[in-house]
Amino acid sequence: MKKFAIGLYVAITLALMGWGYYQAIYVAPNDAMQGEIFRIIYYHVPSAIVAFFFFAVSLVGSIGFLASRANHADRAQMFDAWALAGAEVGVVFCTVVLTTGPLWGRRAWGIWWTWDARLTTTLVLWLIYVSYLLLRRFAAGPQMQTLAAVLGIFGALDVPIVYMSNRWWRTQHPAPVFGGGQGSGMDHSMVGALLWNMLAWFAWGVMILAIRYYVERQHQKISAAEALRALNA
Amino acid sequence: MDQAAILDHRFLIAAYVVTWTIQLGYLSYLALKWRSQKREAARNLREPL
Repeated sequence: MKKFAIGLYVAITLALMGWGYYQAIYVAPNDAMQGEIFRIIYYHVPSAIVAFFFFAVSLVGSIGFLASRANHADRAQMFDAWALAGAEVGVVFCTVVLTTGPLWGRRAWGIWWTWDARLTTTLVLWLIYVSYLLLRRFAAGPQMQTLAAVLGIFGALDVPIVYMSNRWWRTQHPAPVFGGGQGSGMDHSMVGALLWNMLAWFAWGVMILAIRYYVERQHQKISAAEALRALNA
Repeated sequence: MDQAAILDHRFLIAAYVVTWTIQLGYLSYLALKWRSQKREAARNLREPL
């Protein structure tokens, strides 16, 4: 039953990816000003929103770890695994944002990069979570998880700044697609393709998050068994 | 198709290919990690505490 449910979820996710691609390439019209290059938005914006969601998962995991590490060891390890999985999958999506954005910028603006508020805060967010992953990979000792949790919480503070950056400051980055002021947003004929791709990338992200969580839990169990073996040797 | 439209098309393809390369690359990394852990778990079972 469990295998069937997992298989069904994977099948639905792949169908959504295919449908999202079809909507982005064949259904949505070209932008009147930008032409075909505009279609990058159907992968760029959903990746950004999904990255924010997974950094929020990492934040909840980090807080949960700090709250439960003293009294509930196993629950703390579960929270820690969620924190790591959320951060790693968030970095993957943030990397997509930071590579597709410059590809669009090169055609739309004529430059690969500019140090405006939205781009800079996004790069800082990516660097913070890459630091988090490096800390987890190379630091040793019992305090590593605690330090990582604190860094994960600080990193998440940058998410609202990234989100609000092109509302608070004048940026070269385009106005917000959703929740912006007057004159922002997109044509009705393009919104459907964007929403389908958001759903598809969200489903894909949840799938790889679940895999990463499972792998980390297995790693924790193997490490615990090895530590026990070393004690008994 | 004019030169600008051809370039737009190439950049669009590049963006989609980069996205899928990153995502599938990460999925492959997870699959390799999962496989090595399964082997490690099997080895631990063969050598009990």
